[in-house]
Amino acid sequence: MYSVADIDVDICGATKCRLCTQFCPESNTILYDSVRGTAYVAVDRCKGCEICVGICDDLAKHEAIKMLPIDKVVDGFEICKVGFKESLVEAK
Amino acid sequence: MSLETIKVSPGFEKYLPKEYQDLVDDGPFVKQRKVSEMGSFKEAIEEHPMCAGCAMTLFIRLTYVALPSLENSVIVGTAGCGRLAISQGAVPFIYGNYGDTNAVASGLKRGLDIRFPNQEKDVVVMAGDGGLADIGFHAVMHSWFRNEKFTTIMLDNEVYGNTGGQESGMTQKGTVMKMAPLGKKGEKMDMIALAKTSGVAYIARVAPTNPTRVANTIRKAVLIAREVGPTYIQAYTSCNIEYAIPTPLVMDDAREVEADRYGFTEYFTDEAKSYWDNTGRKIKGTVKK
Repeated sequence: MYSVADIDVDICGATKCRLCTQFCPESNTILYDSVRGTAYVAVDRCKGCEICVGICDDLAKHEAIKMLPIDKVVDGFEICKVGFKESLVEAK
Repeated sequence: MSLETIKVSPGFEKYLPKEYQDLVDDGPFVKQRKVSEMGSFKEAIEEHPMCAGCAMTLFIRLTYVALPSLENSVIVGTAGCGRLAISQGAVPFIYGNYGDTNAVASGLKRGLDIRFPNQEKDVVVMAGDGGLADIGFHAVMHSWFRNEKFTTIMLDNEVYGNTGGQESGMTQKGTVMKMAPLGKKGEKMDMIALAKTSGVAYIARVAPTNPTRVANTIRKAVLIAREVGPTYIQAYTSCNIEYAIPTPLVMDDAREVEADRYGFTEYFTDEAKSYWDNTGRKIKGTVKK
């Protein structure tokens, strides 16, 4: 079992800070939903390093990202299935 | 090159992977993207097998965003961790033999200038500390002495991470590694000073603690290399495996090392400074000749 980052879209959407998208080592893993103004995670790309959690908690001080076991993720976005989309609404 | 070159012929879209189509529709080609837009466009690097939380991966990701003309760039690398991600980028990557990266890049840059006299082609060498400071050292130094116009980026993780943790010339003195159990005897090589001595036009030392600064530094180095001469960036990209850094603390480590001994510094020759202040700084977006 491994964990992936899970972003609370309500907290994140209120801030629009985008720091986690810039510090994630993996490309196109933390994406940004331009419609709702929130970051979201491609669960199939996330390697679970938790760098984004540190960035959100310590640097941005928003505490919007938590690690979640992969089997607890509900309706996670998988970029390998739908490809890149500019918003999560479009992706689903 | 225009976007037309990479567009899929009508009717053939469904036969190509959607990753390719995403690059055509929302990719970083032709119009340069900014660090602040990351997450809102399809990036040039695809999925790759580098370790979770690797700072080198972050640096490489930022490099692909920062290159001023991605479709006119060629990256030269060699054996080492970095090539695992660089080889998954949508930019030509030449996997040189160990030791010859800068020699290959010299010939390539000269060849591209002859073949495409009306276009700017950027050659960027991106390899590890072992590939550039140890095994490729002679080629690096001679490309600088010859004033070859390309950028050399050292991904300095201060160890041979890919082969189990041998000390490199860039390892700190006294560091005990898995394959250097008595600790390193010599000092860390001062490549910045060597670059200054060799007449490198623009030199920067950077840690990936500030993505915008990393991207600006790379863009600056590539633009100066086009017009003035060789440029060199030395980037601290910790190896969290060999240095046993828990992945959530990778950025904390980068900040500590940056504060301690890897602070951001940049150095221009007079000619490079004059070019950057008068011309380079004013160039916006993707640069086409």
